[in-house]
Amino acid sequence: MQPTDSELIQRWQGEPAPLLPLLHAFHERDGYLSDDALRAVSQGLRIPLAELFGTVSFYHHFSREPGGHGVTRVCSGPICKLRGSDELIEELEGAHSMACSGRCDEPIGVLRGGEALVGHVGGELGAQPTPLPAPNPGGVEECCFRSIRVEGRGSIEGYRRSGGYRALEKARAMGGEALLGELEASGLAGRGGAGFPTARKWRAVREAPGGPKTVVCNADEGEPGCFKDRALLDHDPHAVIEGIAIAALATGATRAFIYLRYEYPWIQEKLERAIVEARDELGELAIHVRRGAGAYICGEETALLSSLEGEHPFPRNRPPYPVTCGFEGTPTAVNNVETLASVPPILDLGAQWYAGLGLAGHKGTKLISLSGDVRRPGNYEVPMGLPLDTLLHEWAGGPLEGRRIEAVTMAGLSGGFLGRDDFDVTLDEPALRAKGSFLGAGGIMVFDDSRDIFAVAREAMAFFADESCGKCFPCRIGTRRLTERLSGEGPTDPSIWKEEVEAIGRTMSQVSACGLGIAAPLITTSLMRLFPDAVDAHLKRP
Amino acid sequence: MSQLTLDGRQVPFEEGETLYQVARREGNSIPTLCYDDRLAPLGACRLCVVEVEGYGRPVASCTTLAEEGMVVRSSSPALEEHRRTLIDLVQSENPTGVEVDPLRGAQATELAKLAERYGSGGTRFAGSTSGRSRHDDPNPMILRDYDLCISCYRCVRVCAEEEGDHAISITGRGFATRITTEFDGFLEGSACTFCGQCVQTCPTGALGDQRALRYQGEPGDLEATRSICPYCGVGCSLDILTKGEKIVGVRPALDGPANGGALCVKGQFAWEWVQHPDRLKEPLVRKDGELVPATWEEALDRAAEGLARVRDRHGRHAIYAVASGRAPHESAYTVQKLVRTCFQSNQVDNCSRS
Amino acid sequence: MAGLAATIGRGAMSNPLSDMEKPDVIFCIGTNMTEAHPVAATRLKKAQARGATLIVADPRRIPLARRADLYLQLRVGTDVALLGAMAHVIAREGLVDREFIESRTEGWEALQRHLEKFTPEWAASITGVPAESIERAARLYGKAERGAIFYTLGITEHISGVDNVQSLSNLALMTGNVGRPGTGINPMRGQNNIQGAGDCGALPNNYVGFQPVDDPANQAKFEEAWGVRVDTEKGMTKVRALESVGEKIFAMLIVGENTLVSDPDAEHCRRALEELEHLVVVDIFLTETARLADVVLPAAAWGEVDGVFTNTERRPQRVRAAVPPQGQSKPDWWIVSQLAKRLGAQGFDYSSPAEVFNELCSLSPIYHGLDWETVAEGRLQWPVPERGHPGTPILHVGRFPRGRGLFMCPEYRDPAEVIDEDYPIWLTTGRRLAQYHTLTMSGRSIGTRYLAPEEVVEVHPDDLQGLGLTDGALAVMKSRRGEVVVKVAADDTSPRGTVFCSFSFSDVPVNILTGGGYDPITDTAELKVCPVRLEPVRLEPVGPSGT
Repeated sequence: MQPTDSELIQRWQGEPAPLLPLLHAFHERDGYLSDDALRAVSQGLRIPLAELFGTVSFYHHFSREPGGHGVTRVCSGPICKLRGSDELIEELEGAHSMACSGRCDEPIGVLRGGEALVGHVGGELGAQPTPLPAPNPGGVEECCFRSIRVEGRGSIEGYRRSGGYRALEKARAMGGEALLGELEASGLAGRGGAGFPTARKWRAVREAPGGPKTVVCNADEGEPGCFKDRALLDHDPHAVIEGIAIAALATGATRAFIYLRYEYPWIQEKLERAIVEARDELGELAIHVRRGAGAYICGEETALLSSLEGEHPFPRNRPPYPVTCGFEGTPTAVNNVETLASVPPILDLGAQWYAGLGLAGHKGTKLISLSGDVRRPGNYEVPMGLPLDTLLHEWAGGPLEGRRIEAVTMAGLSGGFLGRDDFDVTLDEPALRAKGSFLGAGGIMVFDDSRDIFAVAREAMAFFADESCGKCFPCRIGTRRLTERLSGEGPTDPSIWKEEVEAIGRTMSQVSACGLGIAAPLITTSLMRLFPDAVDAHLKRP
Repeated sequence: MSQLTLDGRQVPFEEGETLYQVARREGNSIPTLCYDDRLAPLGACRLCVVEVEGYGRPVASCTTLAEEGMVVRSSSPALEEHRRTLIDLVQSENPTGVEVDPLRGAQATELAKLAERYGSGGTRFAGSTSGRSRHDDPNPMILRDYDLCISCYRCVRVCAEEEGDHAISITGRGFATRITTEFDGFLEGSACTFCGQCVQTCPTGALGDQRALRYQGEPGDLEATRSICPYCGVGCSLDILTKGEKIVGVRPALDGPANGGALCVKGQFAWEWVQHPDRLKEPLVRKDGELVPATWEEALDRAAEGLARVRDRHGRHAIYAVASGRAPHESAYTVQKLVRTCFQSNQVDNCSRS
Repeated sequence: MAGLAATIGRGAMSNPLSDMEKPDVIFCIGTNMTEAHPVAATRLKKAQARGATLIVADPRRIPLARRADLYLQLRVGTDVALLGAMAHVIAREGLVDREFIESRTEGWEALQRHLEKFTPEWAASITGVPAESIERAARLYGKAERGAIFYTLGITEHISGVDNVQSLSNLALMTGNVGRPGTGINPMRGQNNIQGAGDCGALPNNYVGFQPVDDPANQAKFEEAWGVRVDTEKGMTKVRALESVGEKIFAMLIVGENTLVSDPDAEHCRRALEELEHLVVVDIFLTETARLADVVLPAAAWGEVDGVFTNTERRPQRVRAAVPPQGQSKPDWWIVSQLAKRLGAQGFDYSSPAEVFNELCSLSPIYHGLDWETVAEGRLQWPVPERGHPGTPILHVGRFPRGRGLFMCPEYRDPAEVIDEDYPIWLTTGRRLAQYHTLTMSGRSIGTRYLAPEEVVEVHPDDLQGLGLTDGALAVMKSRRGEVVVKVAADDTSPRGTVFCSFSFSDVPVNILTGGGYDPITDTAELKVCPVRLEPVRLEPVGPSGT
């Protein structure tokens, strides 16, 4: 029998961060979010109805139309687009498009109700396990992926067998201070993109007044071209959980959340099972899995916190930073999946070991999701400082037969384009910054000479415009205006076109309120710098 | 007291002040669009960005707390260019050539004034427009002309933070963001109480006072007279708006000691009774059972004679006066003084017992 | 206001409106604040947003009740039982402020004995509020660092109005929630200048500034000031005056009040006004009351006159003329002065409202430091005893005007009329947000008319069938005094067995029904409780036209 409204509300009312799971419960029960459902949730959680109505509309995947939950949604991310997602949408009756669903290594991602599938033009839809990362050709030592290929690693037995939860035990013996010292020495910095030293963040939470303290694992992997967290969560969930437990130990947190992106529904079950399996290891620490509902901006840590709290998911103004005023105003450490999964091997094998993994003086490693026009797309854990060329040609097998790699995007889409002249760059932040780009979350999408880079740029900007939250003016209007200008709707005079695109980009990158608006114009500035001929050719079209 | 450097000058500040507050106190006119003194700063419009030495990018002065020793520039060629670009961007999302009448609301011309300051004609960055007006909303008080909306969310924030009604909110995202009620309906039937605070904080006239807007064509300059609301006992300060001898609207006083900028539906929108055709315009006296017009002399004589007659016939305690709890003090005071001096009695009361 | 005058010596709001954002526990009883005082309510909402706990006691699930952290739905007219039981729990559990009681109050022992019988269980049987809820409310308020009480006519418009107020006063005194920021006992005044009318001495027992008329010193003071002999006896209240028409009262001067619609027992009121030998009405519209007058004098309205209003927090503020008066209408002070002169009085040669106000200030101990200039910005709250005084935002700091705060021992009494077989339903009356009083103003404004175009009686949906009523259809509502026809609206704001109506619409003169009793001390009518009967209107079939 279906649960009643009040049963659903009672189930979630007293839980922390109840809004998203409660909405999902109604969404799944009814197949959409009816007016009555919103009224019931508004009353049950004491959220003003107008605010709830507005907030629900923010998320792509909450449907307000009957049957909306079951609608087939086809990934239209940059790589799936190359693989024919537009045609697939035509093929599948009633299908809609969706933003990059994090399956760029096995396109095309499809969601139908609670099912995550993969399809291709002219073929059947089917469920497909997340590919295991392939070992790198040179046998270069890894950190996060070190044990991921061990048989049965996803279960607690397999995890323990391969050294799992040893680091947590060690951490308990060391105590918070020693643990932070070790982490500091390793040089571990946020691997989700921001690159903030992890030990400093945790120390700030540890020392902040007030409580209860909270750890949030950011598993809202929404950057187009990024699918590394999916591999970790799918094949090595206990590594993430162990990382969370160590973070809690270091910060003094008593509760934790994993904020999981909507597009990975099967991982929610996997994580919840793993948390139950690990209860003896976790002791008093409660870990709650909360699933997003389709919003790129929720990968931004403060928007994520707003979303968890059931507020409109706008990024917040900083300061105060989450380390002093995060979830419900409590000191909170928000860390990416990859960062947390790095912690157990670092504690297990030592700070010096981790620091030594990097090349040419850089410390540690970074996961790269490589996709697009290369022979062996997939996730790679590279030593910091590895030349991009090496990754593209030696690790991933280089371009497809008869093709030449023309451009890659960095940081998913946020780092803009690099062109052929840039491929000698090494994969570390200082080198990439010098090229006007950055490593970010580590997504690299590859485009060969058969592709229309201008069209890729247009799709990229359309994505940013679609995902702009609507809070700050330069991003809200700027992403739209740039999209229009890449779609032939702007001024026709090339000099006016360029002046406007540059002016908008300059202001966006300088004064936008969060990373989305700051990064988005890298697409147009790198396009104009690297591919002036492509720009001129498009502007000359009638 | 702590100090920072603002545009080359040492200026003092207090703990907890934002850079914007410090700059404004120092007489600096940093432009803003999403700012309202009473609301938590949002940092959305980014017009108030300033340069702080040691910071990679300009910061929003409305959300940045002043710190000891900060070196702040509130204006530079780069900042002015960003501001110009932002104003041009905002102008580009609205239809061009709309003249915003100040009758729409207290802050309705804020964007128009900034556009003038930055010489923005509204044609640069031309593209699609963002707002969608709700002219279908039949309420006769709040005009919802969202074609002019710039998504500063002052209306949403004032409704939540000041009025506490949370009747309106933000739907959609990005450029497609719109202001909505629950289920996108009309204001009536929503949680809206028609207090009008959203109208009075709107910087573009996207929300307008429909009662006042009927007087757009009325000749004469718009003038404001400070007064107190005539309804309940809270005593909200307001401005009566007039053109010539016509009352054309009411606005809340932001510095009102009792209300701090708030009004309710009655104070804000229910003032038309003052110059309603039903008003009594001449004295009336009863003749042959009918009330008929009379001169003041005749009416006052009749009124006084009648009272005097009753006094003479039934004694001074036979006359009773009821003073008004609505009229000003001078009314009640003279009424009780009349009773106590003309009739030497205390036969007077006011309407507080009902 | 008499209730508080007896216990703490000042019948006015003790704390400023801005203090409403400061309490950590707020207790609202008998106040539909979001509708009757909407702007004051915004401050409570802010306090709540900052973490304050809101307790609401009201027979109807009003908007404020829906926002409450604890809602006590008491049966109409049972406030003394509820409040007594709260006091009982506070005393029993030792949540009292002993130091405050010892240093600032008297009568505590008597109250303690009196409270013994007010057990929550007993009160639950009277009020219908569960004993646990009463205990919770008592603990919340009793433990509050800053507890504030707000009430309006839902407390005073009962035969037990004074008892209700004094029960509240007991709660505040026993917990020491008086004389500090964010605390207090705060009656909210309903009309814009009702506080001012009292301040000005338009009362049968007080001169300006609440100086009793039966005090020889005051009599001497006013004889000196006005140059006439004054009466040594109090006058009668308006309620008694209306009752005494034809016996003691034969003429009336009514200024700006639509007595006929706002007062209880409207039929009796109409007969009384008709029976007067002479009735003079000063008003801005030809109201139902003015139609009965012998002379109607047209007054200039708000927006047309200069003057002073004093708000509910004792703050005199200037109103200003923005437009000239309509037609030949004149300011009240001019009209009354002209009458007074024709009646042979001296001292009415005013040339401006400023002169009137300054005279009033010179005679009032609470306005003595004020004049026309100093009220211009409305920065001071009375008492302002002398020039340069900063005003008194919070009353009762350190001392009460009567010295010590006095605990009173009110007993619970049923309302004057209770439901029975003939009149089985409780009617309670009040205000609606979009309309005000008798509609002379809001009824002539398009926006408010749009929101509340007509009167309805709100009946609980579950009661409709049993009463044979239909949502949207007409019903006859009868009391022991009369009947009105009114449209039925299904609404679960009131509990079953209780219906609600406002008194704003003259075509549904609800006050024909009310008026079953009066508070023995204040003569305030029991407008909040009236047993009624409701029946559907059966329309006769209409025959073909033209026959």
